[in-house]
Amino acid sequence: MNDMRLTERVVTETAKMTARGVQVHYGTNHALKDVDVDILDKTVTAFIGPSGCGKSTFLRCLNRMNDTVASARVTGRIEMDGQDIYDPRVDPVQLRAKVGMVFQKPNPFPKSIYDNVAYGPKIHGLSRNKAELDEIVETSLKKAALWNEVKDRLTAPGTGLSGGQQQRLCIARAVATSPEVLLMDEPCSALDPIATAQVEELIDELRAQFSVVIVTHSMQQAARVSQRTAFFHLGHLVEYGETGHIFTNPSDPRTEAYITGRIG
Amino acid sequence: MSLGLLLLLLIALAALGYVAGRQRALAAVRGDARDLHSLPAYYGQAVALAAAVPGLLVMVVWLITQPLLVERTTLSLILTEDIGPGSSRELVMADIRRIAEGMGVLVATGAANEGEIAALATQPDALKDRLAAVNVALAAPISAPVAQAALVYRQSMETGQGAMAAAVLAVAVAGFLLALWRVTPAFRARNVVERVVQVLLIAASSLAILTTAGIIFSLLLESWHFFQLYPARDFFLSLTWSPKFGGGSDLGLWPLLWGTLYVSVIALLVAVPIGLMAAIYLSEYASPGLRAIAKPAIEVLAGIPSIVYGLFALMTVGPFLRDWFAQPMGLGDSSSSVMTAGVVMGIMLIPYVSSLSDDIINAVPQALRDGSYAIGATQSETIRQVVFPAALPGIVGAILMAASRAIGETMIVVLGAGAAAKLDLNPFEAMTTVTVKIVSQLTGDTEFASPETLVAFALGLTLFVFTLGLNVLALYIVRKYREQYE
Repeated sequence: MNDMRLTERVVTETAKMTARGVQVHYGTNHALKDVDVDILDKTVTAFIGPSGCGKSTFLRCLNRMNDTVASARVTGRIEMDGQDIYDPRVDPVQLRAKVGMVFQKPNPFPKSIYDNVAYGPKIHGLSRNKAELDEIVETSLKKAALWNEVKDRLTAPGTGLSGGQQQRLCIARAVATSPEVLLMDEPCSALDPIATAQVEELIDELRAQFSVVIVTHSMQQAARVSQRTAFFHLGHLVEYGETGHIFTNPSDPRTEAYITGRIG
Repeated sequence: MSLGLLLLLLIALAALGYVAGRQRALAAVRGDARDLHSLPAYYGQAVALAAAVPGLLVMVVWLITQPLLVERTTLSLILTEDIGPGSSRELVMADIRRIAEGMGVLVATGAANEGEIAALATQPDALKDRLAAVNVALAAPISAPVAQAALVYRQSMETGQGAMAAAVLAVAVAGFLLALWRVTPAFRARNVVERVVQVLLIAASSLAILTTAGIIFSLLLESWHFFQLYPARDFFLSLTWSPKFGGGSDLGLWPLLWGTLYVSVIALLVAVPIGLMAAIYLSEYASPGLRAIAKPAIEVLAGIPSIVYGLFALMTVGPFLRDWFAQPMGLGDSSSSVMTAGVVMGIMLIPYVSSLSDDIINAVPQALRDGSYAIGATQSETIRQVVFPAALPGIVGAILMAASRAIGETMIVVLGAGAAAKLDLNPFEAMTTVTVKIVSQLTGDTEFASPETLVAFALGLTLFVFTLGLNVLALYIVRKYREQYE
């Protein structure tokens, strides 16, 4: 594991989101058991673990995407800035504008590049006029490190971009609503190594503005981009802590077994 | 030998070929199928195909060419002066075929043997009586040359049948033996069988294309006959439609085309919004349980015969529209109206639009919806701005399909809108469409070669060009959006 940059990183200690005793059932399947996690502000948190361990399920609890699955039932308490996000007074639609999400496979809308990015700001009424909207689109694309590649063809369809560009377009789309937390569900698993490197670099830059939560199958990726790592196994949160600590000196034998390749 | 028996023989030979080919292949490797190039069944299939296919081909070709040749030789026996006034070669040939058929019946029922038949052919009147006795009635007396020709026709056909059976069986047996001889472990039976299947698929698709071409050709031919009798300028530019049986008709296309378009537009105005909204509800909002009941229930509408819709238009919708809309608004007092036919046709088209659109909306990837929800869009925003645009090419296709259906619909128009050809803007006025007039022009008693009848083909051609244009437009739109979205 020579390519891991297990250097010391600046870590803020204020919690942006806190989860306490979160349980998720899909029908009769108990997918997530009693998870406690603090997502820190302006920090990249990585969720690792073997397939089916519940890491994506937990990620989807953080922006209530599980609400769109009819059989899902979420219990426990998840707070964002001290406000329970499962409180009936919270509109999941508003919540998702503050907690953006990027998916495993790039899913640009069948619209132009401009309209893809402008979609969120338009439906949330974030701009007063066309000039402001243009401004939002431009800054979002710049934040997603895509502006230079697409600035001359903003009206071209977003689906015509390459895989890596599409994924950065999806990041720009999520960034455009000025979220406070960005959730990424295996954002690089459909990308080639070069595109992966670009997205990873981008994640590191985005950390300056908001907290990023990334689910990944690649332990190298977790080690490269994150400051905090949570290891999930069979629906349990096994270990959560500083990334360097998890990878060099895990306290739970299951974590050690996973990162050394013995389970998973 | 009859055709059915010959076919049975071919099938039996093919079955035998299957068993023999399979046996021979297995025997060649002493029962160890692993040493064969293909599975044993493929060897059987190869031999069966070699036995059946060439024989069938010979049979088909023979069945097409034999009547042509025999009719030519038979007709050469009839001199031009033997053809009476008001008759033609075709009519004489039809008589000959009928008499020959009657002769066959006489022999089959045992009423006469071949010798008596030959003798009868020289006595036309006696022949006519004998034929009448076995229920083969002829209108006119049989003339001597016709009777002779019928005898020749019958004999040639009989000989031809025998020769065909012999040729087919010879080819089939030859194919059978040749294929059986070629069965060795290295023979690539699987590839051969797959090649034959491929040819079969090509033949099936070219048959469909050839049929279309044939239909177009016959339409063009009859339309050309029509335009020989009636000036094309009047047909395409005249604004009146008043066929008179006896000549001097006005056969202008526009009143009919106007009626067709008017009814279709009203039908689509009813069907498209209702169908689309139903599709969106079913695919995006309805629970699985409700969807499982509602979708088939809507599709039942598509199973109702259009004549039943016609009755509904005639008995219910027509009088209702007249009493509650047309009369109070002073727009007429006819229960047959464009509105009646259009509304009922629209109801008929709802399942076409909704069912197809529902499938198309369901085919939009869930990832797109998730992407939209994750930005904080509501379900309705997601549908309007993401799902619907993504499904649009398919939806346009569904709508144009419904439009083609509307343009071709006949029964609802006959019962709902009447049969009066009129150019009018009032939707509560009776009008009629191209299809209705095609039916009424062809079902009259007029002579077939008159413009009043032949106009049906020109109308059919116009309709065909119209729906073809719609389909081309649909393809164009679908392709244009595809380029943008994929």
